[in-house]
Amino acid sequence: MLDPLKVAIDHDLVVVTLATYVVGTLVLIGFFLMRTEMLKRAGIVLSVSACALQFAELGTRWNMTGVWPLTNLYGSLSLFSGLGVLIFIAFASKYDLWLIGGGVLGLSAIAFGYATTWNEGYMPAVPALQSYWIKVHVPLVVSSYASFMVAFVVSCLYLLKAYSERRFSSGTAVVRANAAGAGTVSMKVATARTSMDANAARTETPQIAAAAESGDPFALWLAGLPSLARLDMLTYRIVAVGLPLLTVGIITGAMWANEAWGAYWSWDPKETAALVSWIVYAGFMHLHTRSAWRGERSAWVSIAGFATIMFCYLGVNIWISGLHSYKM
Amino acid sequence: MEALRRNSLGGIKELVDEFLILFANVLFAVSLFAVWGVLTLIGVIVDQNKGADFYWQNYTPALARIVLRLHLDNIYHSPAYIAIIGLILISMTVATFRRVIPARLPALRPVKIDKIPLHASIDVEGDESDIRARLERFFAERGWQIRKREFGGEEWSFIDKHNWARRGVLVAHVGFVIIAAGTTIYWATGYSGQFTVLSGAVGTIPQTGATVALQQFGYRIDPVATKSGIVYQPIDYVSHAIVTGKDGVARQAVIRVNQPYDVDGVKVYQATYGFGVTFALTKDGRPAAGPPDGPIKEGEAFDIPGTSRTIQYRSFVGTIDRRTGTAGLDPRPNDPGVLLQAFDGDHPLGNVLAPLGQPLDLGAGYALTPLKYTLYSGFQYRYDPGIPLVLVGSIVLLLGLCISFYFLPARLYVVLNGAGRAWNVGIAATTVKGYDIFEDRFREIVETLRRTPSIS
Repeated sequence: MLDPLKVAIDHDLVVVTLATYVVGTLVLIGFFLMRTEMLKRAGIVLSVSACALQFAELGTRWNMTGVWPLTNLYGSLSLFSGLGVLIFIAFASKYDLWLIGGGVLGLSAIAFGYATTWNEGYMPAVPALQSYWIKVHVPLVVSSYASFMVAFVVSCLYLLKAYSERRFSSGTAVVRANAAGAGTVSMKVATARTSMDANAARTETPQIAAAAESGDPFALWLAGLPSLARLDMLTYRIVAVGLPLLTVGIITGAMWANEAWGAYWSWDPKETAALVSWIVYAGFMHLHTRSAWRGERSAWVSIAGFATIMFCYLGVNIWISGLHSYKM
Repeated sequence: MEALRRNSLGGIKELVDEFLILFANVLFAVSLFAVWGVLTLIGVIVDQNKGADFYWQNYTPALARIVLRLHLDNIYHSPAYIAIIGLILISMTVATFRRVIPARLPALRPVKIDKIPLHASIDVEGDESDIRARLERFFAERGWQIRKREFGGEEWSFIDKHNWARRGVLVAHVGFVIIAAGTTIYWATGYSGQFTVLSGAVGTIPQTGATVALQQFGYRIDPVATKSGIVYQPIDYVSHAIVTGKDGVARQAVIRVNQPYDVDGVKVYQATYGFGVTFALTKDGRPAAGPPDGPIKEGEAFDIPGTSRTIQYRSFVGTIDRRTGTAGLDPRPNDPGVLLQAFDGDHPLGNVLAPLGQPLDLGAGYALTPLKYTLYSGFQYRYDPGIPLVLVGSIVLLLGLCISFYFLPARLYVVLNGAGRAWNVGIAATTVKGYDIFEDRFREIVETLRRTPSIS
């Protein structure tokens, strides 16, 4: 018999966590649009709170039932949301990337909101999931998904800026004239003499810089975003976290399958879809070694990679039956 | 004749060179990856290893035709799939020998500092030799390896870090090849299979002759209240058996899901379970031949003698809902029955749910009684000597990825310009992954250099 107090706490935590995600999303979108320090600080507090609440909810559930809380789609999506925000906080702290918070928290809110539709209550684990591997394999795989989600948001921001640059290049004559005045500087970075990022932004997006100088509010806003080079580098760094995690996740999954199903690889839809994602991100890392493929093309590959992750994570779980059909 | 031979040899050499250039190209490798990904994805979407009937029944005729004609029903073992993996391995091998291994430390040559995107200059006061010594100490303390060369009377310092990490890609490629070798070993010497054993009966692994005598199969299924209603959740499946290997010694074994039993290097897994049912057939009240003496399993069938009719035991129903006469939700045998299907030749006549112990009138004086059920256990076995190699390969692959991603081989070019006590330190940086990725680190180095009193 479950402790009614803990059940009530768990229920409240679900509601408060979801609310925190939603409010955090709105605040960080506000920061994305307005760039005020107050919104940034509030967004940071809300991000940390949402993450802490998410893990507290999973912890409460584990403590209450004694069952590892990641045995169903509700649990794994909860972890996905929490880890997505955690990875975002880690990267944002290191690279001052709080601007993407609205996107990350928004996706986490959607994921957790969707998770609640699969929350059937408290169930014991089926025999296949009664293994120590579930405490290793699931967090690893879900953390890789969460990393790719953050990379996806950064790639979207990259494309927003890159396509805006194109839009300005085909804009008004005034803008073009200003852009010509800005010149096309071939040297990308003159470190320690000028601000590198500002210089890089000017050379990579001269049309935006020119339009910003002529007072275009959207261009001014765009100019405040990180440089394209920086966004591309950040996408690479985040994928460089996600891909090893996915690799270890697939390896530990194979080790578990070898114990549970009698073969480390059974061409089950889930493991095969994970292989597809691995192939896409391995392709991303290979392409990133070529300068011609960095930037816009890399961003699109990152987005395609995340689409395969979503198919592997939700599509296979929900629509395709296989050995990994643990929805409830 | 000699000219012709030389020409043809030249042609072959040209062809080989073109092949090597193509297969060493990263974009070609990524194209192969893309094809591999698409083929793999098709295998996820299209049901695999089903009979032709399945596709005709469940897919549109056009799609079923495509699936069957292009062998998409068993894509992972199709020639196209194996060929693409072969091409990837060839591409990786060629790239390893043509690009990865030759990618050694770049030559120690002077560069035009201000032409390299990551560059900086720092004004320093002091004696030249003293400044050089201080710079050397600064980088050595931070783990950089320093090499000095003189060009036209000008001394250059070439300062490297993580040079060994240039081998990360090579390590990853080696890991991939080891995995391929491990899986090949299974294809060459491994085997696997399945067998079912009724409680009290004995099953055999044909390749080794090892036997599994099932004493008892047990299961636990609990009703759990969920928001959608009662769900019957499986909690445990366990086979208690006596396993006898090549040494002839009988050993007690408990085989559970996630807990396989090892006999002679062959692992035996708890895979499925089911209910064998014993049937009795009578004609005009007298026992008649037809069903076998022992229990039959789900999917098995028997003929009614003297007729063209066949009865198939389709599935076991744990609890019959007495109000509706249909199968209840509870899979545990509380009020059990069997779902039977009758055929006249190949033509299905219909289904009927028959309670256990109650005779079912088949017509023409025949009556069929499902007498009792006997639990059986389904085992899977596998002998795979390639597993340790696959594990080693996976670890090597992972190691290679981590080296490639987290250790950035970088080189700093440092040169001193000036005279007397006024000097300018010119510094530029290159990496194997472009400039953007090293931008922050380079800024940090330059700023630390500027702040370090002994330098600036």
